Amino acid sequence: MIKLDVFQPTFGLDKEEENVVVPKEELYCSTPLAPSLRWNVLSNNAPKDLTKFHHGTTTLSFVFSEGIVAAVDSRASMGQYIGSGSVKKVIEINKYLLGTMAGGAADCTFWERYLGMRCRLFELKNKERISVAAASKILCNTVYQYKGMGLSMGTMIMGWDKKGPHIYYVDSEGTRLKGQKFSVGSGSTHALGVLDQGYQWNMSVEEACELGRRSIYHATHRDAFSGGYINVYYIGPDGWKFISHEDSGFDKHYQYATEKATQQQQQMSIS
Amino acid sequence: MFLTRSEYDRGVNTFSPEGRLFQVEYAMEAIKLGSTAVGIQTAEGVVLAVEKRLSSTLLEPNSVEKLVEIDEHVGCAMSGLIADARTMIEHARVEAQNHRFTFDEPMPVESLTQATCDLALRFGEGVEDDDEREEEMMSRPFGVSLLIAGVDEKGPALFYTDPSGTYIRWLAKAIGAGSEAAQSALQEAYYKSMTLSEAETLALRTLKEVMEEKVESNNVEVAVVRTDTKKFVIYTEAQVKECLSRLENRETH
Repeated sequence: MIKLDVFQPTFGLDKEEENVVVPKEELYCSTPLAPSLRWNVLSNNAPKDLTKFHHGTTTLSFVFSEGIVAAVDSRASMGQYIGSGSVKKVIEINKYLLGTMAGGAADCTFWERYLGMRCRLFELKNKERISVAAASKILCNTVYQYKGMGLSMGTMIMGWDKKGPHIYYVDSEGTRLKGQKFSVGSGSTHALGVLDQGYQWNMSVEEACELGRRSIYHATHRDAFSGGYINVYYIGPDGWKFISHEDSGFDKHYQYATEKATQQQQQMSIS
Repeated sequence: MFLTRSEYDRGVNTFSPEGRLFQVEYAMEAIKLGSTAVGIQTAEGVVLAVEKRLSSTLLEPNSVEKLVEIDEHVGCAMSGLIADARTMIEHARVEAQNHRFTFDEPMPVESLTQATCDLALRFGEGVEDDDEREEEMMSRPFGVSLLIAGVDEKGPALFYTDPSGTYIRWLAKAIGAGSEAAQSALQEAYYKSMTLSEAETLALRTLKEVMEEKVESNNVEVAVVRTDTKKFVIYTEAQVKECLSRLENRETH
């Protein structure tokens, strides 16, 4: 095994990668253990699935009576390493369309910008805005052409068209799903737990945004690969609107902790 | 017109002994059969106005399209073979969007005009398609002329393109059937410090002089690109009506 030596980093020059020894613990373990320390950022030989810049993420979006809310975190990680704490994971495709970013950051920004271009050309040709269904299909068909070539993206394409609000989940495997509620990324399970619990069709825009925000907060709290800021967007009939940009850290934590405490106190005083 | 016509006017890629490309010159003649279009540049923006020939009362006037948007900040008027213009405009739109994609900024009007003209002399040339097979694209020059109007970082601009692939910048230019009379009318009346609304009136007055039918809100089209907003806007019929009434008021006074 290669020794991790921060004073004499190998910088990927070692050729021992071929005969990697699986650690003994891992042989008897049903799930792979966390990447060992030797896959340090100083060594260029990070495991393949962690070479993507942007693997830890929590993004969510859902449809409710008044439109769509999208909420995302802002952490970019490469394995254990946090590359950035202030990434914009909601991509503004045009005035009526948003996309979210999970997986490879470059893949998402590039292909969603490309999608923006295609949507504009559609508009010029047909003199009307593209539907969310058609836009998501363009993206889906494009990434499908590159299937198996290393693209990594899990995205939600959402917007308001002639037929109202729509969300489509599109990923680099070529999946394209229409739905009311989606969450993508390593923190998605945590977020969905909170989202499903608090979701109602008839919510006000403020309530919906708060639910999105709270879901992302809880995901950033439990998922080590999610964190940073919480960005919230709302999509109504007149297009998208940026709602808020808040730190997911201490302030949010104590805000929710206090709220929970007061609720408990009230319940106790009632009983 | 060419009395010494010989076999040299057949092939599109063969010069005549006098050094002329007859097919290109004939294409220029095709434009003179088209409806008249006028473009005027002022400091406040650029005006485009076109005549629509409504050959029948049963014709749907708003389906005749001679003013089109290329990108947010650039528009175009055409005269000649409109089908040919569609190929050029499709190309121009893709170029404009590709520019935005690569550089994240609107394409300068001159670059866009040049990109459009690059297509003009590609006749008789095989074009590689996606699978790198040679594919015959077009066998003759485009029989259309464009007035490309836009606003970019350097301000408003009006370009004229012809079938030879040449593009020239003009302050005021007329193309199409009535272009000769229209151009001399523009020459007379144009001055640099014109306002945009004066330019609109001048454009319509020029069209009025050369058009066979009476100018009405449904047989002319007007569009502007304003310097302040940098946006291309095609006027609605009501807005055209307003411009026409302004023209009439001026003439009665």
